[in-house]
Amino acid sequence: MEIKYAVTVDDLTVAYNYKPVLWDIDLAIPEGVLMAIVGPNGAGKSTLIKSILGIINPIAGSVSIYGKSYDKQRKLVAYVPQKGSVDWDFPTTALDVVKMGTYGSLGWVKRPGKAQKKAALEALEKVGMLAFKNRQISQLSGGQQQRVFLARALAQNASIYFMDEPFQGVDATTEITIINILKELRKAGKTVVVVHHDLQTVPEYFDWVTFLNVKKIATGPVKEIFNDDNLTKTYGINYKVSVQQ
Amino acid sequence: MSSAQIEIQLIASLVAIACAIPGVFLVLRKMALISDAISHSILPGLVIGFFITHDLNSPLLILMGALSGILTVVLVEYIQKTKLVKEDTAIGLVFPAMFSIGVLLIAKNANDVHLDVDAVLLGELAFAPFDRLIVNGIDIGPKSLWIIGTILLITLSLLVAFFKELKVSTFDAGLATSLGFSPIVIHYGLMSIASVTTVGAFDAVGAILVVALMIAPAATAYLLTNDLKIMLVFSVIFGVFSAISGYWLAHWLDASISGSMITMLGFVFFLVYLFAPNRGFISVLYRNKQQQKEVQLLTFLLHLNNHTEENERHINHLNEHINWHKIKAQSIVDLAEKNNMIVINNQIIALTPKGKIFTEKAIDYIITNDDSKIESMKKDFFLFRG
Repeated sequence: MEIKYAVTVDDLTVAYNYKPVLWDIDLAIPEGVLMAIVGPNGAGKSTLIKSILGIINPIAGSVSIYGKSYDKQRKLVAYVPQKGSVDWDFPTTALDVVKMGTYGSLGWVKRPGKAQKKAALEALEKVGMLAFKNRQISQLSGGQQQRVFLARALAQNASIYFMDEPFQGVDATTEITIINILKELRKAGKTVVVVHHDLQTVPEYFDWVTFLNVKKIATGPVKEIFNDDNLTKTYGINYKVSVQQ
Repeated sequence: MSSAQIEIQLIASLVAIACAIPGVFLVLRKMALISDAISHSILPGLVIGFFITHDLNSPLLILMGALSGILTVVLVEYIQKTKLVKEDTAIGLVFPAMFSIGVLLIAKNANDVHLDVDAVLLGELAFAPFDRLIVNGIDIGPKSLWIIGTILLITLSLLVAFFKELKVSTFDAGLATSLGFSPIVIHYGLMSIASVTTVGAFDAVGAILVVALMIAPAATAYLLTNDLKIMLVFSVIFGVFSAISGYWLAHWLDASISGSMITMLGFVFFLVYLFAPNRGFISVLYRNKQQQKEVQLLTFLLHLNNHTEENERHINHLNEHINWHKIKAQSIVDLAEKNNMIVINNQIIALTPKGKIFTEKAIDYIITNDDSKIESMKKDFFLFRG
């Protein structure tokens, strides 16, 4: 059977001030995988996600979502940015932030109504945050804020989810809540792409992995390619030795 | 009140509302200084507009002024993108240069008209009622009332239409982009509105008061609410209140109207800063003091809970053991006793069942951060409110 690809990236090159951050990336993400993107700091992991989502303009290359350009398919895609990318003192509540996930389906000018509120409440319930729906977002703990961000993506009701370090600085309870939801999404046939830092948990959490360090090192099933050879190539040190020490 | 007085207050109120709305978003986007830059750098645009039309009331002046405001924003962003200087430096570089070009243009070419630098900086609201708009021979009110009224109407319609887009792009520009709401379009839309409002308002209130009317009401409202819509409403209320009370202050002092309005804006901010229920100075001070006391109480209860031996719980030994001053120790013991958390028998202190449950729940919360069991305690203790 031929594999169906949710996301294909061709010859993608991104540079900040002429310094390449991503260099000639070819990547095909099969539909229905739960994929980790791993690599050292500055490897371009967040940049890769942001260029797929059109937040950063690449200097070369192209991206397609189910064979069409991102502009035409944006309703199929949900995004969880890094928690630190927004100002949590913004005057708004958890429910209101989650509702923002539904704005994409509304388009310009049209305002959210009952259907959007219902979707937002359901999403909050899934991440166990319903009790905090009217809480001002600065009054939430780091883990709770991350769950609100996840709920916002769930409220988008997308087919493909991109998440930028959702496990950054969260407690164990939140980490388990998040990974269970990600696994549920995969079960429902969704494609989930996660920028991930903790190499120890890769085999347990993910079934697909991409090694990235400015260039793509490898991509494929965790069982086949998550090995010392690729880790060493990506992190530039003898990985096996350094872990044993 | 004469009709001129009513007209002045009406103009001042409309200017306050028109400024407060973009001001809220400028404050939330941490771009307060941009309004200062815009307000000064509209001057060359106005002067050039005047050279073209030779009419101080031409709409072209508003257009040219707004364009030079937007040019300022573009220049600031361009300089900032070079990464040679930071944003505040870029702002400090651009707007004095723009303003001084305007000053030179006036000095060389427009000395004989009513377009002097004092009027630009401070405005003159008192003269606004004398400049009438006459259509087909009928006087339909002061011109500045019509100008600012039109601008306010445009601002309000845009706010209602694009509230959702403004909110999401202000809170999370990355998400806004991925959802297809271009934050760049929103950004320049907001900058355009801020520029047009500044030009429309500065004739009446001057460049400096425009900045105050944009920033002070929003900053004041920010201290009082966690809801963007309420923040907008509060900003409008504070702006209008300061405008009208400032007018009467000026009347009473026989002083500059714009100066008195700024004074009122500052005064209102100061009052709210002191007395705001959650973020105000007094409230924070009180909360810190209470929390300190609660931590001490908990430390004391924990000590009792950890020690069954009587000598550790003797009232005279507490000073030494917890290393507190006598007065502090006494006040904590009194507090615990008042709350029925301890009993004292023969100078020996023991936890009551209530005290024991409280201590264990509190410790449990501090260790696990799970606040489901302590909901009932939140009402009485700041410590547990997260």
